Amino acid sequence: MASAPSKLCTDDVSLLVVLLDTNPYFWSTSNDSSVSLSNFLSHVLSFLNSILFLNQLNQVVVIATGYNSCGYIYDSSLSSSSSITKSSGNGRVPAFCSELLENLEEFLTKDEKMSIEESIDGIGSSLLSGSLSMALCYIQRIFRSGPLHPQPRILCLHGSPDGPEQYVAVMNTIFSAQRSMVPIDSCVIGAQHSAFLQQASYITGGVYLKPQQLDGLFQYLITVFATDLHSRNFLQLPKPAGVDFRASCFCHKNTIDMGYICSVCLSIFCKHHKKCSTCGSFFGQAQSQAASMSDQKRKGLET
Amino acid sequence: MHSTGSPLGLEAVAGRNQLRRLQAHKHPPPPHSLKFHSDLQSPCADKMPQVKIIAKNFMDMVASLPACKLDKLCESPFICEAILRSLPPLAKKYVLQLLYIVVPIPAKSFEEWVLPDGLSKHRVAIDRLIQLRVYIETIDRKKETSYQLNPTFQINLQKQLIHGGVLPREPMPLNVRLPTLEELETYTHEQWECFLLQLISSTQAERLTNFSFAMMKVFQRGLLSQREKEAPRLTENGFQFLLMDTNAQLWYIIREYISNAEERGVDPVDLISFMLELSFHETGQAYNINTLTEVQIITVKDLANLGLVKLQQGRKDSWFIPTKLVTNLSVSLSDSTTRKQGFVVVETNFRMYAYSSSKLHCEILRLFSRVEYQLPNLIVGAITKESLYSAFENGITAEQIISFLQQNAHPRVAERMPSVPENVMDQIRLWEADLNRVEMTPAHLYEEFPSKDVFDSACDFARDYGGVLWEDSKTMRLVVKADIHNHIREYLRRQK
Repeated sequence: MASAPSKLCTDDVSLLVVLLDTNPYFWSTSNDSSVSLSNFLSHVLSFLNSILFLNQLNQVVVIATGYNSCGYIYDSSLSSSSSITKSSGNGRVPAFCSELLENLEEFLTKDEKMSIEESIDGIGSSLLSGSLSMALCYIQRIFRSGPLHPQPRILCLHGSPDGPEQYVAVMNTIFSAQRSMVPIDSCVIGAQHSAFLQQASYITGGVYLKPQQLDGLFQYLITVFATDLHSRNFLQLPKPAGVDFRASCFCHKNTIDMGYICSVCLSIFCKHHKKCSTCGSFFGQAQSQAASMSDQKRKGLET
Repeated sequence: MHSTGSPLGLEAVAGRNQLRRLQAHKHPPPPHSLKFHSDLQSPCADKMPQVKIIAKNFMDMVASLPACKLDKLCESPFICEAILRSLPPLAKKYVLQLLYIVVPIPAKSFEEWVLPDGLSKHRVAIDRLIQLRVYIETIDRKKETSYQLNPTFQINLQKQLIHGGVLPREPMPLNVRLPTLEELETYTHEQWECFLLQLISSTQAERLTNFSFAMMKVFQRGLLSQREKEAPRLTENGFQFLLMDTNAQLWYIIREYISNAEERGVDPVDLISFMLELSFHETGQAYNINTLTEVQIITVKDLANLGLVKLQQGRKDSWFIPTKLVTNLSVSLSDSTTRKQGFVVVETNFRMYAYSSSKLHCEILRLFSRVEYQLPNLIVGAITKESLYSAFENGITAEQIISFLQQNAHPRVAERMPSVPENVMDQIRLWEADLNRVEMTPAHLYEEFPSKDVFDSACDFARDYGGVLWEDSKTMRLVVKADIHNHIREYLRRQK
């Protein structure tokens, strides 16, 4: 359903949904080797502007991935097409930038108010699953709007570490993106690789990249992520060196190398249980005893 | 290049064969052969069959400008943006990639990015960039090619990207109610149709546009045969023009308009840059006419006749309102979203119902069908053998008719696959094939051979070349293809 009608549109008209990581804990801890938020935004805004530049019909949607919530902060289809790239009143930035920044600020204050006083150890993770689902919802709406729609893709600009507690939700969004043939590109700006995004890009056929030098972010974005889906057939884009396929267990949300799997619903557990917490199946006693004797023989999770 | 096979991408004036041969090149020829005025400047135009190649869009025309004029165009940031948008997808990416790089990049590093499948696309993209002088090619001492962005283009694009563009004029604040987008659309439509009607037959048009007679003649050149003492008749090109979609027609007219500019004493570059600038104005906004130069005012008035802009006058000032047609000028041709809604339903019994009140549609349908009756909003016709034969005689091909019917299929039938019943499509093709039953091959006849041996060896010789068309050993007569005539003659001479 998803891919066939898109052929009607011109080759390179694209809808780019950008997920911006706005986790305040991540941005406040960023040290010298990484970029500051304002620096990062200026790279991203120029990138977005150049996407809008490429084709009059290109569309850009920006979703903020916050710590407590997610929100749409910009949609180029809502402002009149020809005025987007034009200068705003003071002639210093394109009109859409000021609109985006205003919305972003509003979102950040709202996101901050929602946070409950609690001690957070480390950076904490932002709500990737939430913003991915919002992006997919938006794309579904575009798919259903009629036979003529731009080719959608998602770009995650993510810095915060993965939150293992979101494992199931993130995996579900990844699979639904795969089903509707929407590639998820990921550009990791944090210190470590993100296993979630590696898997997301791998499964959906997107590009995963962790830029070496963040001060050249614009060039990375332009050379790799500005490539429309049509041109990707002809170009060599970065290939993943290795993908971290590890899963999180359903019971304690830990990332595990080896664990137990429910043979009925494929839920993953790090310890042996008598009953599956997801589907309620009882696990046979005899087998579990045998298993506890030799944990190593248990079915691993790696595929 | 986009892969939509526009039936009129290439067009031959001389004969059908030429047309066929050209259309056989489904793949786009190397861009430099697409220069639109190749027929005007070709020195051997009188000897060669006159082949006219129609540029697919505005940008092909821009690309054919001399280098100094192109550089002049690059000085305006909006034109840079328009040029960028007109490029093939891969070329767009190449421009952005070099946007902030000031040193020349060797061609090899570009090729490293390209997958084997994409090499042809890559070459088309690079050729196009060089042709438009966006990339500047340098060849160093080691014969290594490297590319660099045109510095003016680069700076303009950077500015545009970071600060946003500023149009030379701002929309006017008005207390008057401006026409809504729908109203503008109808206005454009009416104006364009009126223009087309006047173009094909000035008597049919209810009201005339304000184009001067001379201007109209320029547009009609190539579309109508203009013999003296004879009512002008649509030529083959004219028919094909009518079957094109609005955008393609618009390109044709604009191209004629611009190529005629010099005769009117206007620099084509000024015109091109003004039109590109117009395409960045906002649809439906009013712009003060006082912000224009004199030449531009004349142009705007002409464009208003075509329905590209709407002119309005207030108590003190007058203003123009760009319509969708003009803002689409810089969008590439293959853009299908601008296509209008279809109106034709074809049934399996060869009846055709066209939900349209437009005279123009009626005229077009009349080209290949028998119009039976006309109701206020419905034209009923039948596709008959006779009507199709007269269309074929006029040089319309079956494929053009079918693609017209498909493109203009009523939304209800457009959902169905195929939108035109298969038996009707097949029959249209069959009727066309009927006309081409005789195939002509230039040939030479040999007779009065001195002996049977000479005759046989000549036959064998011709057969080796694969050029025997007919032979009769009793009367010793042989017919061979014209292209091996020389070989045979040489051969026979040696036999003596």
